[in-house]
Amino acid sequence: MDVPLYLRPRVEPPLAALLTDRPFLHSLADALGSPLNVLLPEAVAENAARFRAVYRRHHLTGRVYFAHKANRSSALLRRLAAEDPAAVGVDVASTEELRHALGCGFTGDRIMATGPKDAAFLWLAARVGATVNLDSPGELERLSGLVRAHGLGRVAVLVRLSGFESAAGRGGAGTRLLSRRSRFGTPVRDTEELLSALERNADTVEFAGAAYHLDTTGVEEKARALEQCVLVMDECRARGLAPRALDIGGGFGVGYVAEAEEWERWTTALTEAVLGVRPPLTWRGHGYGLRNEGGTVRGAAALYPAYRPTAGPGYLDELLSLPAPVLGRPPATLLLEHLHDLYIEPGRSLVDQCGLSLARVLDVRLADTDAGRYLVHLAMNAGDMSLEEHGVLVDPVLLPRGEAVSGDEEPVGVHLTGNLCLEGDLITRRLVFLPRLPRAGDLLAFVNTAGYAMDFHAHHAQRQPVARTVAVERRGDSWRWCPDEDYWPITPLGGAVG
Amino acid sequence: MRYDSITEAIGNTPLVRIDPAVHGLRNIDLYAKLEMLNPFGSVKDRPAWHMARPHLEAAADGDGTVVELSSGNTAKALALLAGMHGARFKSVTNRMRVPEIKELLLLLGAEIEELPGRSECLDPTDTDDPLTHFHRALSDPGSTYLHTDQYFNPRNVEAHAEGTGPEIVKDLDGRVPDWFIACVGTAGSSTGVARVLREHDPRVRVLGLVAHKSDFIPGIRTIDEVHQVGLFDPATYDTIESVTSDEAIDGMLTLIRRCGMLSGPTGGAAYQGAVRRLRYADAELDGTGQRRTAVFIVCDRAESYLSYVRQRRPELLGRTARGHSAAAVTDAEAHAEARVIDVDDARRWSAEGDPRPLVVDLRSPHAYAALHIEGSLNIVDEVFEDLLRGGLPFSKRTPVLLACPVGEKSLRYAAALTRMGHPDVRSLAGGIVAWRDAGAPLVRE
Repeated sequence: MDVPLYLRPRVEPPLAALLTDRPFLHSLADALGSPLNVLLPEAVAENAARFRAVYRRHHLTGRVYFAHKANRSSALLRRLAAEDPAAVGVDVASTEELRHALGCGFTGDRIMATGPKDAAFLWLAARVGATVNLDSPGELERLSGLVRAHGLGRVAVLVRLSGFESAAGRGGAGTRLLSRRSRFGTPVRDTEELLSALERNADTVEFAGAAYHLDTTGVEEKARALEQCVLVMDECRARGLAPRALDIGGGFGVGYVAEAEEWERWTTALTEAVLGVRPPLTWRGHGYGLRNEGGTVRGAAALYPAYRPTAGPGYLDELLSLPAPVLGRPPATLLLEHLHDLYIEPGRSLVDQCGLSLARVLDVRLADTDAGRYLVHLAMNAGDMSLEEHGVLVDPVLLPRGEAVSGDEEPVGVHLTGNLCLEGDLITRRLVFLPRLPRAGDLLAFVNTAGYAMDFHAHHAQRQPVARTVAVERRGDSWRWCPDEDYWPITPLGGAVG
Repeated sequence: MRYDSITEAIGNTPLVRIDPAVHGLRNIDLYAKLEMLNPFGSVKDRPAWHMARPHLEAAADGDGTVVELSSGNTAKALALLAGMHGARFKSVTNRMRVPEIKELLLLLGAEIEELPGRSECLDPTDTDDPLTHFHRALSDPGSTYLHTDQYFNPRNVEAHAEGTGPEIVKDLDGRVPDWFIACVGTAGSSTGVARVLREHDPRVRVLGLVAHKSDFIPGIRTIDEVHQVGLFDPATYDTIESVTSDEAIDGMLTLIRRCGMLSGPTGGAAYQGAVRRLRYADAELDGTGQRRTAVFIVCDRAESYLSYVRQRRPELLGRTARGHSAAAVTDAEAHAEARVIDVDDARRWSAEGDPRPLVVDLRSPHAYAALHIEGSLNIVDEVFEDLLRGGLPFSKRTPVLLACPVGEKSLRYAAALTRMGHPDVRSLAGGIVAWRDAGAPLVRE
């Protein structure tokens, strides 16, 4: 038997309490089927408050926009709509998301339209008074054309900038901080064209500020981008424009694994397994991008850093406090001194600890007699719970149906297989250790799946059922639930009871 | 000693015995190989010269760029060597984690390229690490890069097999030490020295030290990172152990404060790791009458690591505040001692006061240039803090209105100035933000 290499999840109070109510979770899965997504709308409001606390600490004003793409739930959106309109908004990236946000109670002024936009999306955003986060001068012209043609009012716009690397000339001679290339935004070196377009179209758009989003965990790169945007906004002011907000996007991260030690032990073991000095930790020796070239490990592990000492609001705090490369002042001071509002668009981190995905165990069988490993077949597939797609490695929590029989409290390594008739349908390619062998009828709870993992890749392949989603809330001693689409932040869950 | 070139001064470093009263080992003589006394300041002078020499001598026309993945001593040595030969040097690195070294490299004329951080929104099909892209760029046809490739270049090992190792044997009168202890970075020094020592006497035991996984010690790799090093072969070491940055600093302090050796944290880690390991062996030797010898490497000097120490052990560099300082004013004291004035009164005061107040804007020059109160003077808070140390920067007869973004810093400075005896300093309540929100005019340059 292998030494169990756990990657136990970080579980905080509301979610932790829910996991202790096994009969409730089993009754939900019995009634609504497997897989099943369970959401805690209260937790999303608490997370928004944590981000707001960071704003307060730095004396900053501006809105927290939830990146809707992280989760399609109505309950989460409606709960956020009930928050202070000046503090919380929503970032939508499609016409349908925009319609959903409006239907959930967000007024247009609290909505930020981002991403690739077609004419319908631009028109509806302009019509309802949303702020349009423009990707390029071309998009600005298209928007202006629509506003003129259809007699819409002036539209508030942000301009998304990118390519901060090329601006390194201002970042101190001799040093170049590289960044990954992005397909979005207007390169900083082309701002001249953008600014003249804004001036030319002053009758149709009201320039509200700049925006960026960098796909990196590196705070230094983000501090540089933030500062470059502040400098661009200075230029804008010098030309008579009046920007007032900087949108710094998202990417604040989530810590999925509770213990740094478990994460470190596992990643070290992965390197050793790739080198062949220990047995594989994965299905068919998958290396997650690492490869063995003559005894030396090459490549980078394509894994989300599942243990994060600072994530979410803590990461924002760190970014705001880091001295910026050109002016040497921390970003929070830059924003404050230049009188700019701060907009952020957290997705994953705003729905941290907001939900879990349940899967019923259908069958358990021995995979490999010598190693004592098992195949655990679940009523769920890799599309329902796309941990692997996002490189997130974390253990599920075993929720047995009955009481444990003495003697079977032995840790065991299992491969979690999905319900599609495909070799590749594994919930995770990692060998997962559980405190004991599951039995058919038990549930596995994958916690903290509300950010991108819950429905981002869900599909109807092979006509398998797509997970239903319910919102739950603690009332007194018990949990109440309702379908996600029936949740409103005003009525007690489960009808008029209570 | 007279030389024609500084490169001739590389090598032949002293081997110095550590006083047993310091390490407390009763049966083992512990020697430090003082690689920090190489001309560019570290053990890396040897491999840097050995690896770069053929490139630099071949490209004698000076048209070329030496490039290396290094954020420390190898970069430093290569930058100097490139400069001597009319070539340029470019350092590619994940992150320059020690700011003084970055500044030093820039001073030496190096170019620094920092690789991007990890992706937050992961694409599992993109398994090309930034290094793969780096190697691709190097192998571009027409590239004038001279890549020294320290993690894979056998000349890195050779430099030590021909220099460091034989020097140790010679200084121990032809004997091989019983233990050799080295930190593993590129694995060059440990591999090269171990090879020579084993050829002389296979009984030598080699201890490799790596950094604790979540920790950072300059010049040392963690147990996972060593596997990415081409020169690293686990068979080189009898034992591999990890050390923490705390232990590295402890060891560095011992070498500095008790042995007169100005070692940096890497040498400190080697010392601490050596003593920790040798203590067990020493106990077993008690009563046998046998004596043993051990050698460790002091890689470089302390001066470049002040910020590293400040971050981890600020108390070691503690300074006491001198002169007047707004930092010495607590929140409660600021509220109790400073006068505040709201936006309406401040507008009236600055327009009609007799005399009118001097308006001081404490924000950065950039923010000031973008928008400020007409007629105000910009003294950024850091400069203002310095000015106050010297005394009152204004006459007591001039009333002063202090403004910052939200009225927090200005409150502290108003309290500090009041303490210094200024009779009429007021802090703008709510700061420039409140001024703007009240619709009061702001002008730009």
